[in-house]
Parts: sequence; structure tokens; C-alpha cells
Amino acid sequence: MAYISQYEYYQNEGNSPEDINWGSYQYISLKDIVVNYQLMYSGNHSLVNNEERYKILFHAKRAIQELNYDAFKEIKVLQLDVSESLRFILPSDYVNWVRISYYEDGVIRPMVENIQVNSASAYLQDNNYKILFDEYGNILKPEQSPLDLARIQGQKPSIYLNSLSPYNGLLGYEYEGCWYFDFAIGARFGLNTETANSNPTFRVDKKAGVINFNSAMAGNSCILEYVSDGMENGDDTQVTVNKLFEDYVYAYISYQILNGKLGVQEYVVNRARKAKSSLLRNAKIRLSNIHPGRLLMNLRGKDKWIK
Amino acid sequence: MINDIRNTVLAVLNKNNYGYISPQDFNLYAQQAQMDLFEDYFYAYNYQVNKENQRTSGTGYADIKKGYSEVIDFFSVTSSLTANGAITDGFFLPSVATTGFDYYLINKIFIGNVEAERIEQSKILLLNSSLLTSPSDLFPAYTTQGLTATIYPSPKSTPQCQYIRYPKPPKWTYVDLGSGSEPVFDQTQPDYQDFELFPDDATDLTMKILKYAGVSIREASVVQYAGAEQATENNSEK
Repeated sequence: MAYISQYEYYQNEGNSPEDINWGSYQYISLKDIVVNYQLMYSGNHSLVNNEERYKILFHAKRAIQELNYDAFKEIKVLQLDVSESLRFILPSDYVNWVRISYYEDGVIRPMVENIQVNSASAYLQDNNYKILFDEYGNILKPEQSPLDLARIQGQKPSIYLNSLSPYNGLLGYEYEGCWYFDFAIGARFGLNTETANSNPTFRVDKKAGVINFNSAMAGNSCILEYVSDGMENGDDTQVTVNKLFEDYVYAYISYQILNGKLGVQEYVVNRARKAKSSLLRNAKIRLSNIHPGRLLMNLRGKDKWIK
Repeated sequence: MINDIRNTVLAVLNKNNYGYISPQDFNLYAQQAQMDLFEDYFYAYNYQVNKENQRTSGTGYADIKKGYSEVIDFFSVTSSLTANGAITDGFFLPSVATTGFDYYLINKIFIGNVEAERIEQSKILLLNSSLLTSPSDLFPAYTTQGLTATIYPSPKSTPQCQYIRYPKPPKWTYVDLGSGSEPVFDQTQPDYQDFELFPDDATDLTMKILKYAGVSIREASVVQYAGAEQATENNSEK
């Protein structure tokens, strides 16, 4: 693809959206990767020869997917309000979550993942605990399991120290400068720090494609930080790779093709594998962008006195 | 070139009173010989590629592959494809009826600046059902069936095709001066067609035509002579 003019970069030549090319120089498109690969790494005098383009495309996309999972550090953020059903439907391009927070009074509060199960499916049973079936032999299921129902209705106590904790709001009394409670005196001394968090909790139900919250989240705004696979919902024109990873993608394609091809000598495959690994390492180091300016403020913390 | 070759062929045949071939026979043999040599270009090109990979080929004037490439490109044609209304997203492949030439080899089909990839019939369903590799406007594909190419996905503009056409059948045209006289070469006839191969192939063409002529007049020594000459020529070019 040809270089774009400054006018096209800053103002998209007067077209809408104006910002479409901002920062685009950091990236190389999928089309350019496939074209460059075919030109430079494939042909009569190259190790890779007589390979269909769709195979090159496949491996290019697989490389981009793998990079998106961790190396890219390109986090997508989606903010949605949580309804009374206490569910947050995962975005269509969701692959894994990074952090889930709730937004209240202008403050982003990171939530903790509930270590207990908070959602289940259920079967209908009769008085003798026998499972009920319909006329076709299928199991009858309630709309919501008792666990879900209790959670949605706010009747499920929480092991976390939030508003649903059994201890929340209970009165104590002061005796000689110390506070005591009417129940299990001394119980709070062995505080379980894993559950010592007052924010609402969540649990991701991957198969159902939702995040289930506890009832404290009803009506609140949720911010989901997640990673995708970079496939942009199948729109190949939008798929891009950071230029720092360009060489790695070429090396990955070569390795995958040579590795799966009949009659390629093992030393050739090994050479391709090593090239791929070292280029990934180099690109990760480059992308981490460690330089003194970024470390300066963090290192100033060493002067802090610990009392 | 065609008259020179015919004269040479007749000269060799007449030398020992082996026989004579009529203009009609000569045209048939000439077409056959031209096709033989034309097909050989592709094998010769591949042979040169292999030589390059073995590092036994040179550059500059020693770049034999370049010569073959130029000769093959001489037969290259680029033209738009005509839609085949009977098949969804189907387009007629080049033929005398649609583009003026029958195709020997489809080199590429492209839509705008994007090249479509040829896919085997056994793969196209798999490819279409694949999430990562299904054909798109950026990476289109096509299959062929009979004289029709089906393009995936539906092209947004008229597809074009770059192909290698067959060489035109050579035709030595003449004026008939009546019985007992030799026909006289006449290149002003409307159906006159010279060989389309390059002049350096004249020897090969002569030998091949001689071979066919030798078979025709059942003269083993002519076939033998032509075969031996051709083998020598081929070896010297390797």
C-alpha cells in the first residue's frame, strides 16, 4: 500500500470519520503481510514454494491471533450497565478478560472474581426427588436455578466483606477502647484476606457467554477490559499487526508451512523455528518499551521511608 | 518465416527424392510442430528454474529463463470476462467466442487490483466454511468448471483475466498456377498466418515438420535424421 499524504492522515481528506488514519503508521495490514510474504518469502527460489495463498493467509491470521492473546498488550474496554438480571453479555470479539471494574461516583473500582460458584443450571424434580421429563424424553428445566434466583433477589449471603456479608451493618460495642460483637467474639481476628473486599463480585460463565454478578451490581455500570483475537469480526480490511511484530509474522508463516510440509529437512524446520522464537522475543522486548524516562517515577519510590 | 521453413523442408525431402508434401499437409504439420514447441517452452522454463535452484545458471546474457519468460509473455492476453447468466457469479473463461482466443493457461483472474486464487473443486466447500480463510473481497477465490469460472465472493466489478493463449495456426497460402506447376507462395491472402514463434525456433520447427513428413511418406531415414538433429539442438541448449 502506498504511503498516505499528511492531509489524509490528519483529516482523512475531509471525509468522515476524520480520525480513521490516526496512529495507523504503527501498524501493517493483513493484506500487506500476505502480499509481502508472497513476494519475498515464497517463490521458485525460496524455501516456501507452490503454497496456496489461503494457507499463507491462515497462518498469518493464526500468528495475529496468538499475538493478540498476550504479546500485543492491546486491551479493549467496554462499559455497559448491568440490569436486574445481573448479567453482562460478553462482547462478540471477547476471548479472555483482563480486569472487571464497576464505575461509581467517578471512581473505577476493580472487582474480585468470586471464588465460589454463583450460577448453575437446574432440573425440575418431584417430591421424591425424581427428575421430570417432557413427553419427548427431555429433562424439564426451571427458568432459573435456586442459586441464581437467590443471587438475583439479593438473598444469597456473600463470603466477601461487602453489603451482602452476614456481618455487614451489625452493631458492636466498645469496652475499654476495643470493639466487640455479640457473635463469635474474636472471629474477625482471623480475617480471610482473600475475601476481604467490599466491592461487588463476579464470575465469568464462559459457556453461557455472560458475566454473572452478585446483587450489589444491579443498575451499576461495569467496565470490562478484555483481549480479543484481532480478527475484527471477520473484516480482513481491519486486521492489522504492530510493525514491531512484522518480521515475527513472516517467520511464523514460514515455520508453520515448512513444519507441515513433506520432505523438508529437519535442520531447515529447526532454523525456521529458532528464527520465529527469537523474533518474538525481540519484538516483545521492543514493545515493552523500557527506557529511563518511564522508569524514573517508579524508581523515585525507593526514597520513600517505610515506617 | 513460414516460406523459408517450407522451402527448407521441401529441399531436404527432395534431396534424395524422398517425396513431396502438399501445402495442406505442410500446414497441418506446421501447426503440430508449432504446438509441440510452444508446449516445450513451459517445460524448458521449469528446467531453467531448477537449474537456477541448483546454482548452475547465470545472470545477464546467461539468464536463459528470462528468454523463455519473454517468449511465453508474447502470448499473454488480458481481457475482461463475460458473465455466464446460467451460473451464479459464473464467468466464461476466455475462448474464441468471448475474448477472441482460446486459452492455453489461465495465469490469473483479478478483480480491480486484487488477484483471485484458483481453488480446487475438492477444497472450495471447506474454504467457504472456514472462518479464517473463507474468500473475501480482499482475498477472493475462484473455481473452474467446464468453460466457466465461479468467483467467490460475488465480485463487485467485472473480473479480468490474464492468460496465455494458443499460438495462431500457421498457414502457408499460395496461388495455384494449374496442374504441373508448383504453387507459389502468396502472403497477401486474407487467411495467411506466419509462425508466431520466434526466429530462433526456425530450426526446431523445420526438424519437427520434417519428422512428421518423414512419417507421412514412410521414410524412416528422414524421421531418424530429423530426430537426431533435434536431440542435438536440445542438448546444446541445456
